[in-house]
Amino acid sequence: MENSAEMQRFIEQEQQKAMVSEMVGKLTSVCWDKCITSTPGSKFSSGETTCLTNCAQRFLDMSVIIAKRFEMQ
Amino acid sequence: MDSFSSPSSAGSTASTEHLMEQIKAQLAQAYAQEFLETVGNKCFAKCVTKAGTSLSGSESSCISRCVDRYIEATGIVSRALFSSQR
Repeated sequence: MENSAEMQRFIEQEQQKAMVSEMVGKLTSVCWDKCITSTPGSKFSSGETTCLTNCAQRFLDMSVIIAKRFEMQ
Repeated sequence: MDSFSSPSSAGSTASTEHLMEQIKAQLAQAYAQEFLETVGNKCFAKCVTKAGTSLSGSESSCISRCVDRYIEATGIVSRALFSSQR
């Protein structure tokens, strides 16, 4: 079974990818609802683009705050 | 679609690789399926405001624009998360 290490590594990699993909998917969904309020046009407005970027980054900031809040208890 | 119907008997290295390819293919399909479902829900909510007897021309064009924008939004969000540390 010299392949089990290789398989282990493969599964860890894929788990990592799945986590990233889930996070991007979730944040896209949340930020789409928050930022895209009008009917989708043929191009994002600069406000929408900025909102999507800020929304994703603020969500991360928030996660940090929430994690810290629980560490304090 | 019977991707498990050809078990490799060419030694364990080959079968491990074979298995990893199958897993990758199935994961890719699962990701695509989930994405499609999400895009469908989002764009139905945005574009199909009053379900009539058929999709109107403006609803159809809204849907295709919406799908393009959702893909673009996914790119913007992943760049916001993983590139250019703030």
